[in-house]
Amino acid sequence: MRKFVTMFLCVILALSQTMAQNRTFTGKVNDAKDGTPLASASLISQDRKIGTKTNADGNFTIVLPDNVKVLVVSSIGYTTQTISVGTSLILNVQLKREDAALTEVVVTSLGITRDKRSVNYSIQTLKAEQIADKGETNLVNALQGKVAGVSITGASGSAGASSNINIRGISSFTGNNQPLFVLDGIPISNDVDRTNGGPLGTLGDNQPGNRAMDIDINNIESLNILKGPAASVLYGSRAAAGAIIITTKKGGNAKGGAQVLINSAYSSQTVIGLPQLQNKYGQGAGSVYNPISGLSWGPAFGSTPSIANGLLIAGVAADYQAYPNNIRDFYENGTVLDNSLTINGGDAKQNYTFSISNLDQKGILPNTAVKRTAVKFGANTTLRDKIKLGGSLTFTNTLQDGILGGNGNSALGVLSGLARNIDLTSYKTKGTYKNPDGSNNWLIPNQDNPYFDSYENPLKSNLYRITGNVTVGYDILKWLNIGYRLGVDAYTDRRKQIFAVTSGQRPTGQVLENSIFRSEVNGDLLITAKKEEFLIKGLNVSALLGQNINQRLFQSVYLRGDGLAIPGFYNVSNATVLTNGSNEYTTKQRLVGYYAQASFAYKNYLFLDLTGRADQSSTLPINNSTYFYPSITAGFVFTDAFKMNSNILNYGKLRANYAKVGRDADPYLLSNTYSSWGFGNNVANFNFPLATTAGFGASSRIAPLVLSPEFTSSYEVGLNLRLFKSKVTIDAAYYSSASKDQIIDVALPVSTGYSSKTTNIGELTNKGVELVVNVNLIDTRYFQWDVTGNFTKNVNKVVSISPGIDNFRVPGTAFIGSFPSIKVGYPYGVILGGVIPTSPDGERLINPATGLFQPTVANQVLSDPNADYKVGFTNNIKYKNFSLGVTFDFTKGGQILSFTAATYKSRGIWAPTGEDRDKPRILPGVIQDASGKYNPNNIQIPAQTYWQALGGLQSEFNVYDATVFRMREISFGYELASAVTQRLKIGGVRFSIFARNVFYVAPNAFFDPELNTQGAGNIRGLELQSAPNARTIGVNLKITL
Amino acid sequence: MKKILIIILTLSVFTSCKKYLDVNTTPNNPFAVPPNTILPTATIAMAFANSNDLNRVTSALSQHIAGVANQTAAYDIYLLDGSFDNQWSGEIYNGAINNLQILIDQYSATSPAYSGIAKLEMAYVFSMATDLWGDVPYSQAGQGLKYEQPRFDKVQDIYQGNSALGITSLFDLVKSGLADLDKPSELKPGKDDLVYKGDLTKWKRMANTLLLKFAIHVSNASPALAKSTIQGVLTGNNYINSNALDFEVPFGLSVGNQNAIYTFNYTNRPGDQQLSQRLLDLSNSLNDNVRLSKFFTKPNGIFTGFDNGSTAVPLTISARSQYTTYLIGAGGEAPVRLLTNFQTNFILAEAALILGTAGDPNAYYQAGITASMQKVGMTAAEIASYFSANPTVVTLSGTTEDMRKQIITQKYIAWIGNGIEAFNDYRRTGYPQLALAQNALGDNPNVIPTRLVYTPSELSRNPNAPSPRPKTDVKLWWAK
Repeated sequence: MRKFVTMFLCVILALSQTMAQNRTFTGKVNDAKDGTPLASASLISQDRKIGTKTNADGNFTIVLPDNVKVLVVSSIGYTTQTISVGTSLILNVQLKREDAALTEVVVTSLGITRDKRSVNYSIQTLKAEQIADKGETNLVNALQGKVAGVSITGASGSAGASSNINIRGISSFTGNNQPLFVLDGIPISNDVDRTNGGPLGTLGDNQPGNRAMDIDINNIESLNILKGPAASVLYGSRAAAGAIIITTKKGGNAKGGAQVLINSAYSSQTVIGLPQLQNKYGQGAGSVYNPISGLSWGPAFGSTPSIANGLLIAGVAADYQAYPNNIRDFYENGTVLDNSLTINGGDAKQNYTFSISNLDQKGILPNTAVKRTAVKFGANTTLRDKIKLGGSLTFTNTLQDGILGGNGNSALGVLSGLARNIDLTSYKTKGTYKNPDGSNNWLIPNQDNPYFDSYENPLKSNLYRITGNVTVGYDILKWLNIGYRLGVDAYTDRRKQIFAVTSGQRPTGQVLENSIFRSEVNGDLLITAKKEEFLIKGLNVSALLGQNINQRLFQSVYLRGDGLAIPGFYNVSNATVLTNGSNEYTTKQRLVGYYAQASFAYKNYLFLDLTGRADQSSTLPINNSTYFYPSITAGFVFTDAFKMNSNILNYGKLRANYAKVGRDADPYLLSNTYSSWGFGNNVANFNFPLATTAGFGASSRIAPLVLSPEFTSSYEVGLNLRLFKSKVTIDAAYYSSASKDQIIDVALPVSTGYSSKTTNIGELTNKGVELVVNVNLIDTRYFQWDVTGNFTKNVNKVVSISPGIDNFRVPGTAFIGSFPSIKVGYPYGVILGGVIPTSPDGERLINPATGLFQPTVANQVLSDPNADYKVGFTNNIKYKNFSLGVTFDFTKGGQILSFTAATYKSRGIWAPTGEDRDKPRILPGVIQDASGKYNPNNIQIPAQTYWQALGGLQSEFNVYDATVFRMREISFGYELASAVTQRLKIGGVRFSIFARNVFYVAPNAFFDPELNTQGAGNIRGLELQSAPNARTIGVNLKITL
Repeated sequence: MKKILIIILTLSVFTSCKKYLDVNTTPNNPFAVPPNTILPTATIAMAFANSNDLNRVTSALSQHIAGVANQTAAYDIYLLDGSFDNQWSGEIYNGAINNLQILIDQYSATSPAYSGIAKLEMAYVFSMATDLWGDVPYSQAGQGLKYEQPRFDKVQDIYQGNSALGITSLFDLVKSGLADLDKPSELKPGKDDLVYKGDLTKWKRMANTLLLKFAIHVSNASPALAKSTIQGVLTGNNYINSNALDFEVPFGLSVGNQNAIYTFNYTNRPGDQQLSQRLLDLSNSLNDNVRLSKFFTKPNGIFTGFDNGSTAVPLTISARSQYTTYLIGAGGEAPVRLLTNFQTNFILAEAALILGTAGDPNAYYQAGITASMQKVGMTAAEIASYFSANPTVVTLSGTTEDMRKQIITQKYIAWIGNGIEAFNDYRRTGYPQLALAQNALGDNPNVIPTRLVYTPSELSRNPNAPSPRPKTDVKLWWAK
């Protein structure tokens, strides 16, 4: 009946058009609730022949013939409304906001936008306002606390430090477990390129950024996080660890005009999380002052100088006083200046976007900085209504200056446990960290002055990056489209690390020239077909057929010059040895994928998706390089199906999926090779050639005879509910995945002559729960309050490795005695090291001769970095023109092995080490007597011995529970009233102040445990004397013209 | 027609696809290398293993040096558990053994000059491993996937062979190497032979000296084998009998080419170890400080020692007696000495004394002392003056055991800088008599360790590794 009426109306309208007379209507479109004028709202006659859009103030003018009686008014995010045109020439329209969740549009694999209702897997969307203006410059960190199922830990608060991100746990033993980053439809690099490898890998490494840091957060429109294999299956192997789909701002909403966005932020950073220090005792040991000691076990400050306590030297009293802030003051005030300008223009058919941004960050460590300039231009056009052509190009230049951190002879290694009487900052203010001849000036022999290290041994990186894409789409038929998308992401990073002559790590000086090139090209052919009412009534079908060509290149050329003839001249021509570790490492890998997807929607309440992808990878044996993997997903909106929508439960959807994703190998695993040889580690090493004699040896890895891809299969069930008129939305998911046939270099006993063989073996499982709850507490015209919480729990387990192999090490650099490892029966990445033996009751055994702990038993589980669960909690409050956003997060459990904690104890600088030093101590434990009985330890030892027994670098006493509650960010904004902006003829002005990393509470650690010195990668839970975290406080101004 | 076109198109797509994907050949590493690039690697591996961490631990245990800080300080009080992964793995089995095995496998037929040298170096490296750890993978080691979990062969089987288990003895391995050196060889080493520059006659001397070393090693446990071997070598009279023939591996002055003794003590860890007070006391008691000054520095004109295991506040680094030129060279180029003329003489002195092999023990003894003193750079006048001033030191006297003590004590001093040999002789003879380190810990704080502990990686990866591992107080087969 309704159809008939519509048809009838159409006929009438068509007829009446013939005798049309024109009238000019003017009016305004506003938000029904708060009265905000709506720009770019569209008004169109029902026959779609006449239309216009509102301007920035929500005003419009439209000329309509008499016969047009009805206008359709629509705006993104608002319910479309039909108004009748009467006699009044002024039309004011109030549009109601759509129930956002009901028609939430999400961006899925390959940039395909879909109604979230039809998506049968877990996907979480973050909008621009949830990540921008919060004082974060690294995209990965901006997600912290906001996404369920995602675990993010930064390396430290130093400028440009990398951050590790894992979605739904770790699924590959030794492969890349970071999600795929996709920018406007093309995969881009989020790699971390390390320069100081080898002996300097952990001992004084510099912390380079993860390359997502090149992305300007201000230019992001939305982020969609694809969590499980089912979500990312179309991306294939690359997205086996999930995907983060980034959509940048585009033109097209400015109704043909131009919109100018200006954003300017300034913030200041200060260090947080430093432990409390004692300021009673200074340099020395055994209560005797020693000006070249690295320990603070000397006499108490204020002691009467005597020869016995070392304070009377040749009849002169030593200058001996506490400098309570000598460590804190080494960290400087960081500043971040972040400016961007975006111009968006055009309409839906022809549009362009241009943006330029500049980030200028000075780090909290001396002589560190990140400077980034990015320029983007993009445009889209539609030809003859059938061909869509578009593209964008972003050019980025990122400069990063860093200094050495980590255990050993680095600035931070020396700083960690700095004796209490050293006036460190005076070296900077007086410029005395180097001697007049330019050499290192430091009171402790064979250590670097931290300032000398900072200013004389920096690593500088200069990166140029181009990211671009071209897309073309052609509507062959109304229901059939064919398109091609070509994307390129390429960068060159030229780095220079210098070591001044006399520096502790390289006494003869060194120049490293490291040139890194990385590129990825992706071509996607996509054929999509859509048919509504297919075969049976109420069935909508869409199908997709695609082909992907991918090529990845990497090259790192490393020229190392040792033994500088002329101090201070940092050119390799000045080096006397050029062969020490100079090399080139190049990889090329290619992949061709074919994929298909069929989606069925029945009456918009029953959904079924089938996908399949076949990949051919260059890294697998050429006759066995093709592998296929499918997914099936289903969703059922039971509230619609059973028409049980009520005011209590107004939407309910159940979803389930099963997916399998294959992952290919790294390049070049298939053949045995030789390499130029070297021996040793950080304490002594040798590298060929020996003068002019070359030395090669067989690679320590044995290549596989056969190799197949590794597969992760997973299933997921989820529930999406909306309650109380959508005031409460709940999204819950449970998933379980098993990753089998891992491609790993499985450890061999080295007595075979080799340390590993590449093979398919082992199994790793992840099971977890994710929950996102959103409550719209208050929603009135002037006052809105939204609360969103998320919960993440992931349980990871190494099920098996290989027969006879109980554990092996996570590849990467670590210390003997604390190796992040893969151990059967434990979660991924437990740290194996020496543990003190215990009595049957679990009391630690004490040596009756010394009162110290019995020697440790090697290769035991020392700590587990995996958190029990994580909770994130965000409040967004708006009152009139004011807004307040606060994000808290909480991590329960997980452990960190802290070298900083160790040195703070053993060197006697942590506050508790200054308490009751003159009193003897007893280590907690038991002594076994001759009869075998265990008696409590009663052997008294001096405080210094006691704390040094507890302060072994790799001791179980320096494993801390990393439970931490944190106010992640807070921002308070004010938006200029529209009345004012209208008078000023500008679109809008928003001013906000923000703070990040505001405070934290770590009940079981005396430092901020949210650190992971090696940043992004599979090694987690190790703090090797890295920089602490930073608190950021700043202001932001956003102007829309 | 259309169908054919489609087929052609599809085929061309697929064939080009195959070509497109054929990019998995690494440009980073060679697939084959000539033997003259492998031999230097294996040779340095052997010398590096001998002079790096294994040298530090044995030098501390035999009290040549004392640990002041870090790992050496831990070794000094017998904390050995969890250590030596790099040595077992990177230096011995992966650095030396597998590359030597490649030389043997690939060149026995065509260029036995290479396989011969490889067998001799292999025998040296395996003896180092079994002397330090006891039972080690030997007959099944270094052969990749052929034996993925190599068996731990017994010390006695490694030294004596065991045909039932297919174990060739170290003696026979050396003899097989000697035989290879006599065969015609297509390729011959030249400057890639870092020690003898391709002079195979010198390698034969090295081989025979190695037999002497093995023989004296087994002299407690298998005196007959020891005696017959030594007599055989003496009859052949082709062993290292002058300092110029010493088997020592040279290092370089450039960064990255320096020996481990230098890079550890002078570049990376100058604060970790110091002259042992006990060695200083011994040297004082023997009036041997001229020789000691060739091994250790005398800051401000005096030797300063540190007692083993002491927790006393150490002197500043510049005031400590540390290794000097003989061991570190002008800047790290000093050779690592593996078989020496003084060693031959001390072995022959001891053999003549206890096994009754040919020669005068005292003559060999004095030749050994002289060779050592010449080796470290004492002048003829200094040597003569020492001999004339210390007749009781340089002349064997007393019971056989007294004389043996004299020989091994002199050998102990001569081996400063090579703790492994001193540690071997100490465990074999009990000389010099060493007191426990202060504050000893470890498996048994009452016994100076008589072996090293197996490494965590081998224990966790090889089910054939003895489990539980033997404690450090369990003596080796050949020990006293």
